Amino acid sequence: MEKMTAPPPNMAASPLPPPDPCFVLRGAQSAVHALHFFGGAQGQVHPLLLSGSLSGLVHIWSLQTRRAVATLDGHGGQCVTWLQTLPQGRQLLSQGRDLKLCLWDLAEGRNTVVDSVPLESMGFCRSSILAGGQERWMLAMPGRGNDEVQILEMPSKTSVCTLKPEADAKPGMPMCLELWQADSSPRPLLLAGYEDGSVALWDVSERKVCSRVACHTEPVMGFDFDSQKARGVSGSAEKALAVWSLDEQQALQVCRTHELTNPGIADVKIRPDRKILATAGWDHRVRVFHWRTMKPLAVLSFHSATIHCVAFATDGLLAAGSGDQRISIWSLYPISTDSSTPLLGHTEGGEVGAHASA
Amino acid sequence: MAVFDTPEEAFGALRPVCVQLTKTQTVENVEHLQAQLQAVSDSALQELQQYILFPLRFTLKTPGPKRERLIQSVVECLTFVLSSTCVKEQVLLQELFSEISACLYSPKSQKPAAVSEELKLAVIQGLSTLMHSAYGDILLAFYEPSILPRLGFAVSLLLDLAEQEKSKQIKIAALKCLQVLLFQCDCQDHPRSLDELEQKQLGDLFASFLPGISMALARVITGDFKQGHGIIVSSLKTFYKTVSFIMADEQLERISKVQPKPAVEHRVAELMVHREAKWVKNTSDKLTILIKKIIECVSGHPHWKVRLALIELVEALLLKCSQSLVGSAGPLLKALVGLVNDESPEVQAQCSKVLRHFADQKVVVGNRAFADILSENLHSLATSLPRLMSSQDDQGKFSTLSLLLGYLKLLGPRVNFVLNSVTHLQRLSKALIQVLELDVTDIKVVEERCWNSGPLGASETAATQPRSPMQRRYFRFFTDERLFLLLQQVCQLLGFYGDVYLLIDHFMELYRESVVYRKQAAMILNELVAGAAGLEVENLHENHIKTSTEELREIVTSILEEYTSQENWYLTTCIESEEVGEELTMKQSGLQAITSGAHTCQVTSFPAFSKPSPTICSMNSNIWQICIQLEGIGRFAYALGKDFRLLLMTALYPVLEKAGDQTLLISQAATSAMMDICHTCGYYSLQHLINQNSDYLVNGISLNLRHLSLHPHTPKVLEVMLWNSDASLLPLVADVVQDVLATLDQFYDKRAASFVGVLHALLAALAQWFPDTDDLRQLQGESAGEAGSHLSQRPAASEKGLENTTTAEDMELFLLNYLKEKDVADGNVSDFDNEEEEQSDPPKVDESDTGPDVEPPLPVQIQIATDVMERCIHMLSDKNLKIRLKVLDVLNLCVVVLQSHKNQLLPLAHRAWPPLVHRLTNDDPLVVLRAFKKLNYQTFLSSVLPWQCAVTRPGAVSAGLTYPRRQVWRLSEKPVLQRHPAKAGWLLSHPSSCQCPGWPGILPHAGFQAAAGCSAGPGPPLRETGPR
Repeated sequence: MEKMTAPPPNMAASPLPPPDPCFVLRGAQSAVHALHFFGGAQGQVHPLLLSGSLSGLVHIWSLQTRRAVATLDGHGGQCVTWLQTLPQGRQLLSQGRDLKLCLWDLAEGRNTVVDSVPLESMGFCRSSILAGGQERWMLAMPGRGNDEVQILEMPSKTSVCTLKPEADAKPGMPMCLELWQADSSPRPLLLAGYEDGSVALWDVSERKVCSRVACHTEPVMGFDFDSQKARGVSGSAEKALAVWSLDEQQALQVCRTHELTNPGIADVKIRPDRKILATAGWDHRVRVFHWRTMKPLAVLSFHSATIHCVAFATDGLLAAGSGDQRISIWSLYPISTDSSTPLLGHTEGGEVGAHASA
Repeated sequence: MAVFDTPEEAFGALRPVCVQLTKTQTVENVEHLQAQLQAVSDSALQELQQYILFPLRFTLKTPGPKRERLIQSVVECLTFVLSSTCVKEQVLLQELFSEISACLYSPKSQKPAAVSEELKLAVIQGLSTLMHSAYGDILLAFYEPSILPRLGFAVSLLLDLAEQEKSKQIKIAALKCLQVLLFQCDCQDHPRSLDELEQKQLGDLFASFLPGISMALARVITGDFKQGHGIIVSSLKTFYKTVSFIMADEQLERISKVQPKPAVEHRVAELMVHREAKWVKNTSDKLTILIKKIIECVSGHPHWKVRLALIELVEALLLKCSQSLVGSAGPLLKALVGLVNDESPEVQAQCSKVLRHFADQKVVVGNRAFADILSENLHSLATSLPRLMSSQDDQGKFSTLSLLLGYLKLLGPRVNFVLNSVTHLQRLSKALIQVLELDVTDIKVVEERCWNSGPLGASETAATQPRSPMQRRYFRFFTDERLFLLLQQVCQLLGFYGDVYLLIDHFMELYRESVVYRKQAAMILNELVAGAAGLEVENLHENHIKTSTEELREIVTSILEEYTSQENWYLTTCIESEEVGEELTMKQSGLQAITSGAHTCQVTSFPAFSKPSPTICSMNSNIWQICIQLEGIGRFAYALGKDFRLLLMTALYPVLEKAGDQTLLISQAATSAMMDICHTCGYYSLQHLINQNSDYLVNGISLNLRHLSLHPHTPKVLEVMLWNSDASLLPLVADVVQDVLATLDQFYDKRAASFVGVLHALLAALAQWFPDTDDLRQLQGESAGEAGSHLSQRPAASEKGLENTTTAEDMELFLLNYLKEKDVADGNVSDFDNEEEEQSDPPKVDESDTGPDVEPPLPVQIQIATDVMERCIHMLSDKNLKIRLKVLDVLNLCVVVLQSHKNQLLPLAHRAWPPLVHRLTNDDPLVVLRAFKKLNYQTFLSSVLPWQCAVTRPGAVSAGLTYPRRQVWRLSEKPVLQRHPAKAGWLLSHPSSCQCPGWPGILPHAGFQAAAGCSAGPGPPLRETGPR
């Protein structure tokens, strides 16, 4: 069993025993494949946690009562792979393996599908959105062709473009996507992780690959990108994490790789305050790293099956969903309110969707 | 029915009598006159008033010694006349007043003449009647300065009578008459309402008498207790009426600085008093002394009417003379406040009424002076409280605490002035902590155990009952139960009016500071929270804002955290018997502790993980601490109401943990705390509570299982939860059960005992939740017996089977079956049987047969039972006898649960067989018996035995070599026993036949019989050798 390998940033050298989860949500009744924190940013309402399960149900958990407050059934028993809420209104996007993206209205206790987008790819690739405060927002999802990514303008569902790699590139299927926008320019950019282990940066308006870098030898399973530091981290089926960065010329390059004990990372998330990151391991463990230094901070072992997804709340809570049907909630290195408030505020204002998608 | 209506007639009749009386003054004549007067109408009498009065007054005035009897009858006659007529002339009134009062005058001394009591009474009555019969105008005119000497004489006369006389009647009459004279009579017609000027005049006049009256009355009041309450009540009334009249703020405001020249002669003018500021000050000082004396004497008077009168006194004086008697306000309020908790409900009610009135009128809060006085009193009380609490007896403590309570009630939100002073808060808390110290020497508390596992007792009716009564406590410094109630109220009021954050912080600090304070501080904290929520608090101050629910929840959350933290919740309450290795040494030290603990009772706490030998005292103290904390959780639930539901996620687990505690007191306290929670959070019963919140519990269990050494009681909670839940729980606990099994695998040697308990509860629950539909009837019998009492269990089904064989038909059937089975046992199996068996097979089993590779996933309960049975096989040979016994129980339940899933059951059953046989052959007799009882079970036999039989047949043996094990069983089972429902009965009646088919020689014959407790029946001949 792995012990924590390094002390937390501000503590003395004596290693502490690995922490326990704050609490565990039970009752999903099948493996948990998607997690997303919702609300609580305003501070008045207790945040909700959304979870998508293998059996096609979306559970809405109240973190105050630690119980499921509602269950959404819209994917015909097929696995829900991605959940995302829209910044305006109480709307939820859920992606299922029944080849449907459903848009739910959750306002005032309603739980109804208001719209749906047909998907044309059977893969596991999670979609991504780019939504400011405006009415219109952008959705990136795996396209019809094996290696295509489709960009839609929502809510009109009009297709903006299809991003298809050059013929000789053969990166394989897209595995994970992230739409974002640099602070300096209004042009939407898309980061995509591919089956061959490479990560590519697309300029959506010009429909061309700005840069591409091979990070892994196995398919990229998940990544997260810190747009402020222009640095991202990706995990794959192999035994390593890759940290890559984006320079001013919009060229991607691998900064470093971090060797892991066991292979297989299903998901990577950076905490909204950009201090730590967490990985979902096939070895049933969540690993926590210091984002700047990539120092390993903790190995959270609780689950008894593969961890499929991790998510951070704006207040710093970490959730991990696993094949053992449980969702564990952890409170690690609490965000100190005074120092990180401007950071958090910026995150909320700038790119709400950035950290919960991928 | 007057005979003489007109004055003329009456005159005619009365004239001779009056003349007669004037001539010869004898008692007879007076009586004669009075007799005649009876027959005269009131109007006629009024006309003739002067005429009739003349002979009487003449008689009184005649110089020379008179007989008392005569004077008395004359006065009585006068009284009679006056009672039916009015006095219309001032001169007459004055003369009559002097004449009547002079009757008791003795020239020799200052004191009233030594005359008969009857005469005194008559004179008093006469005076009183005279004053009543005077016309209002005349009466007012009567009270002019010139009358002062005469009035003074009468007043002092009456005071003397009230003070010196022995007769109660006279005393009371004198006091009443005094009131009449001073215009304070409370009868209907006498005092018409006076305007301000009149009041002032009267006040000026009476002020001269104030010293005399007040001192004399004070002497009466503080006099002998035995003089009867009536006199004291009446004196008190007179006192406060007089004082409040003369010293009334209203009047004193109007007094001019300069004394007006009185229009009377100099001698009288000297008697007059001018009520200017200096006089008021002096008088007030003197009165304060008197009032203090009175209060001191009266507030503890045994008769409630006296105390009631005292309240009236306080009310009147505080309302009317708040300025003039400001110096007395302290003692007066103190007296009032001290009566808040009077034992007499009337006094209590009146006192609260007055207090409420004061609060409404802002007498205290609106009046800076009063509030200051009260705060000052509270300050000084707080200062002396620790000393008083340690030195006073129960009664003294009671009155001191009543006083404290009253101050708190009266001051309301202003309590904070006192609490904000650190020293005073410290003194107050010190006193409370000191007086609340518990007596922890009782061994019984530690001794009492509750042994029952199973559903929590008294559960069904729980939610309908109001708050459960508190456990009886024994305090070191008092025995009176009322004192505890008072203390509770004091704390509640503090919580209600005081700054809750300040108080909670302060007492939390004390709680943490020392184990010596911990229990008391917890008690106080519990009450503070209850008070802050406004429970059982009567609010006298309407504008007081209660603590908001949100704040309250925060407070409760932090207290709960403290209560249930590792070092405050897991205390040594008994000498652990779980650690077998340490058992002996622990026992010894425990015994030492018992002997030594009685002498030196030093209370120290031992968290469960440190292992110095605990003394009885410390264990007792720990038990109480946990009980108080549990009770607190119940109180918090009441304080928060439905909001407490949110706290259940942290609170329920620890409470449930304690509900399974071995110590009776703790388990009781936990149960009642859970009842409270049920009641406030709207659950029907404990089961409902546990069921609805099982997710929270499971969370706690699964997290604590990860640190079993820190939370050794975790299995117990799971056990309690399982006993109290239903099938809906299973999806939630499934993963925890896996955790439990995994943990058990790690700790086979150390914690097996507690885990076996859980497994037992689990399997019993499974058997109950998922009754096998195939053998529902049979199972009900078994599981009922199982769940109820696993100690005295008897296989109900087989019992039933035996009973049913009484009819002839049954006998016949039995015999036929017997013959058939005998054949079967001998191995003669026809093919026909085989086919029939094939047909009656349930299709489900067939399916699983056809495609062994694609079996549908097993139901969770079957998976669990399989896993558990696996562990049981290992634990059958545990070193500990108790565990072996318990494992046998669990094993049996596994078989019950698994009976419809033979594919899982049989391989396991076969693996269980060898250790089971081992139990039967060479183990403790107790285990042999239990193991045999298991054997009796139809299901177990049906699973195990047939295969053993089959092995004996050559064909089957060869089959066993070619087919997988499961198939072997299927081949063997079909022909042999499975379809014979009566085999249980048969096997019971032929225990010896068990051994014959498959395992010759394994069971020693004698031992088996002994264990079975039955003799070998007419069984089939034993085959001594197996076909090896």
